[in-house]
Amino acid sequence: MDIPPANITQTEPLGAEDRTTSVAKGIAVEMELGPEGRLLPEMLGEELWRAASAEMVELSKAEFAEALETIGTKDNFGLDPGKQANERQREIFWRALHLEELAMARGCALGRESAWRRFLAQYREQLTRAAVEMTGSAALGEELASALYSELFGLTEREGKRWSPLLRYSGRGSLMGWLRAILAQRRVNQYRKTGRETELGEIEPAARVSERIELKQLEDLRVAIKMTLSAASAEERFVLSAYYLDQHTLHEISRVLRVHEATVSRKLKRATEHLRKELLRTLRAGGLSRRAAEEALGTDPRDVDINLRKLLQESNGDPNSNKERQE
Amino acid sequence: MNQEFQTGIHPDADQLSVFVEGAATSREQERMLLHLAECAECRKAVFLMQPQEETQPAGRTPVKGWIWGRLLPVGLPAAALACGLVAVLVHIWPRDGALRNPQQVASLRKPEVLPKTTVAPSADSEMDQRSGTPRSFAPATNRSRQENLSLPKSLNLPESSGQAAAKVAAPETTRANLSANVPVAHAGGSAGGVIGGISSELPLNGRNFSNLQQLSTPEPAKAAASQYSLAKEKDLGGLMIEQASGHDKTLAEVSGHITDRSGAIVAGAAVMLRDASGTTRETTTGVDGSFHLTELPAGRYELTATASGFKTSKQSIELNPSQLAMLQPVLEPGAASEQVTVETASAAVQVETESANVGQVIAGQVVAEMPNVGRAVGVPSGLPVTASVSHGKRFISLDNAGNLFLSRSGGKKWKKINPQWTGKAVRIELTPAHSSEAPPKPNETSGKASEAAVFLLTTDAGTVWTSKDGAHWHQQ
Repeated sequence: MDIPPANITQTEPLGAEDRTTSVAKGIAVEMELGPEGRLLPEMLGEELWRAASAEMVELSKAEFAEALETIGTKDNFGLDPGKQANERQREIFWRALHLEELAMARGCALGRESAWRRFLAQYREQLTRAAVEMTGSAALGEELASALYSELFGLTEREGKRWSPLLRYSGRGSLMGWLRAILAQRRVNQYRKTGRETELGEIEPAARVSERIELKQLEDLRVAIKMTLSAASAEERFVLSAYYLDQHTLHEISRVLRVHEATVSRKLKRATEHLRKELLRTLRAGGLSRRAAEEALGTDPRDVDINLRKLLQESNGDPNSNKERQE
Repeated sequence: MNQEFQTGIHPDADQLSVFVEGAATSREQERMLLHLAECAECRKAVFLMQPQEETQPAGRTPVKGWIWGRLLPVGLPAAALACGLVAVLVHIWPRDGALRNPQQVASLRKPEVLPKTTVAPSADSEMDQRSGTPRSFAPATNRSRQENLSLPKSLNLPESSGQAAAKVAAPETTRANLSANVPVAHAGGSAGGVIGGISSELPLNGRNFSNLQQLSTPEPAKAAASQYSLAKEKDLGGLMIEQASGHDKTLAEVSGHITDRSGAIVAGAAVMLRDASGTTRETTTGVDGSFHLTELPAGRYELTATASGFKTSKQSIELNPSQLAMLQPVLEPGAASEQVTVETASAAVQVETESANVGQVIAGQVVAEMPNVGRAVGVPSGLPVTASVSHGKRFISLDNAGNLFLSRSGGKKWKKINPQWTGKAVRIELTPAHSSEAPPKPNETSGKASEAAVFLLTTDAGTVWTSKDGAHWHQQ
């Protein structure tokens, strides 16, 4: 089960370094300034401050400018790392932010009364509704939402300071989208605490591959899958995982990827065929006849699906194992 | 636990939301997908983040149906309304140019039995001078009926401020002498009082003063100019609608004053405005003959003006929101009949007095077989017919753009007659052949009939053309 990590596991954890630095910034916003002083020209700063109606949430120009600079440097103004953003690129980046929502989030994080009033008026109901939607139960949803509220309100403390996750909101997406993301993460954490085992157990139907193929071949298959997957594009891998492991529908996947359902279907088909071909090749290389190899994987498309799922699942191993290893 | 999830190697909420909302850069997108491909938890979070439809796909269809079900009662009438609106627009649009008051042209063929009286001048001409682009509408629905009745009413609808001026101008302007076959050369009235200094030798009936200004300098026979003048005249409708300011933008107003043909004001006349649903608004004219109705919802109305001793005047108007319609109905004396019905031994005979040369009007034709002179016959141009004469099955119609149409089939099929004349045809008449013999029997064949009768055409340049068959014309 514990396979030495192939390429797939070597993928760099997402923005690990960014994350730690950004967390540091999040905690100590006030201290964070661009290395060569102000990045934000005063004129632009004032204009954006006005556009964000930051005054309504008791946010001073300086505070708002700081927020903008922090966010800009954190994401390198949307450029690839290592590139230096020029003034124009910075301005474009800032102007594209959800300024008003950003100001509100900052105001809330800094404990400003009017910011909270606005936030509650605008998002409380939506937040609860989203939570109910995610949990599928009114009670659970309300519980989730109120837990998040207290967290947002800064009841948790870090290094002796009141700390609100709202500090992390960058304004690049909508505030509601960010709230949904937080809620979803909290919800997943709940899963992890309670129902993970059973959930994995659900994907245990007829795993014929294992039955028919010898142990050695199974090892080969796992390696083959990892090899194939590592060569596949990120999107293909995501689609395969979401479809075979999580059993999401094509429609659901298409919504996440913001493409048409047919596009997802095409991608999935191509990825699956590719994977299957690679697996057949591996099996035959391991000594099976073509027919035996095909039989082993299953000729019925549904069998193939199930077997692929099983294989993917096994080769993926524990989703958290990679992380744990790296930690 | 939460902290670890947040600050660990997983993307934070901000990155997730940026990804889900499609705001991520391509690099971020790629990294996110790579992570998601491996990380079941973040995948789960991402799918959880999708709004309702995602988590409860089963709810979709009923919701959809419910929405449709709820929209249906609203949607259907709305759609019907829209269709109706389109139909009305289509109805009005092509005639827009033509609708500019057929009455003015109709007055060209008023029977000369009527005394030469003054007619309220086209104050709209002033208006045309002052405001660059007047918007005028003329009734579309009752037009044909009015023509049929040949109610020779002249509608003059000045813009509101022009109303007073119109009244002042009224007595000073005489109607053109229509009996003349050479209208342009025929001196009409004096327009000078109104437009100051322009003493025109031109007929004023329905003419546009601003154009008279043009015409006063060139010689009367200048065909092009007069054509222009005539064309402009069509633009000045009997109904002038202008934007009313300072009122509710959805409501319209109607005001105007009622005169008789001599231009004298008619006080105490009942004015009734009836909308499409039959709701009426009534008022009477004041001592100055004016009336005013406000807060009228936009739409199509029929305006009826009644006064004792006069015929009832009817016209339909289209009111647009926040417009002020200025109307000037002219009442005809009740005594002056448009039609003379003569009882003969065999049948009722109707004499059409529509033709200008009343004295020569064919008399004694049987009503049943009398071709519908003056009837609004649909001509191919789609424009209102201003004059129509017939002989046997041979119909000639003149629309208000000056096009002449000939039908040999009693109005079923029409053919445009290519003008051999210069200028624009303004009048079409039928006279008996040079002899003053009795006209041919209507049931005679057209071939025979054409020998006996002559069509007379007058152009706005004053030339007269004759034709026996309607297709071939000769200048007189």
